Amino acid sequence: MKKPSRRFDSSGDAVHLGFQIAPMIDVVFVIMLFFMVMAGSVKVEKELNSQLPGNAETSGATDFVDEQIINIAENGEVQLNEEPMDTAASRDLPQLTATLTRLKKTGDEAKTPTLVTVVSEPNAKYSRTVDVLDSLAVAGVTNVTFTVSDEEP
Amino acid sequence: MAGGGGGEGEPEFQIAPMIDVLLVLLIFFMSITTAQVLKVDKNVKLPLAPNAIKKDTQRSEVIINVRWDEAAKKANYIVDEKVFLETGELTKAVTAAKFAGETRVTKSANPTFRAVIRGDRDATAMYISRAMNAAAEAGISDISFSAVNKE
Repeated sequence: MKKPSRRFDSSGDAVHLGFQIAPMIDVVFVIMLFFMVMAGSVKVEKELNSQLPGNAETSGATDFVDEQIINIAENGEVQLNEEPMDTAASRDLPQLTATLTRLKKTGDEAKTPTLVTVVSEPNAKYSRTVDVLDSLAVAGVTNVTFTVSDEEP
Repeated sequence: MAGGGGGEGEPEFQIAPMIDVLLVLLIFFMSITTAQVLKVDKNVKLPLAPNAIKKDTQRSEVIINVRWDEAAKKANYIVDEKVFLETGELTKAVTAAKFAGETRVTKSANPTFRAVIRGDRDATAMYISRAMNAAAEAGISDISFSAVNKE
């Protein structure tokens, strides 16, 4: 049996003005929709880690590892061991990422740590350094040091 | 009746459990959208790094903001809301923050004090390097660079 609608029931003098659940649900739905849309576009602050050199213990035996050097030029060009990688306009650096992934895999198989030093020119954009660090993060290289080539006085 | 529940008549739509579920969903979406708002310095436009790792919030750290002044083509350093133009003063501030931070007990597995560099994407590498030098002079070797996951 269909119940009569209470919302539009205005007949009679005794109108019950109690707590209305339907408008509350409407409002909650709208607020939830707002936060759901906002959740998709939320910017999350993340981090890329690096370690400064110079804290090595000298009392024990020291393993010599192959150091890979990545140079970043002022125009955005990236070189790995003096070999040009990708174009200056490429943000995701696929060639560098692939090469670093291969180096990391080889290092893991040989049980030697992969050590990478990122050397940027002083006037190169910092965002380019972050592009390279992001590429290192994709390759899974954790021993990363960042430095700037001879700074101008 | 097709369902075969044994009771009389059709089951009514229950409003109370629906409100419970709605409110839980609302709280969930509110919490994930507002969690990141507090510590962000609006004047620093962080670079983009979609593959960076999640920020470890448990560690004791000093945050060095590197704000880029496009007109003057130079950067300012901000630590604990104080602006530093010279790296000498910055080193003193970072050293003081390190002493204060090391006395606090951290819950994380790796309690080493670290410096987080929040550099502007337009800044040059030279200014970021100077911030790193300040951290090195303060005796901090663990450096993290902040980035955002999307534009």
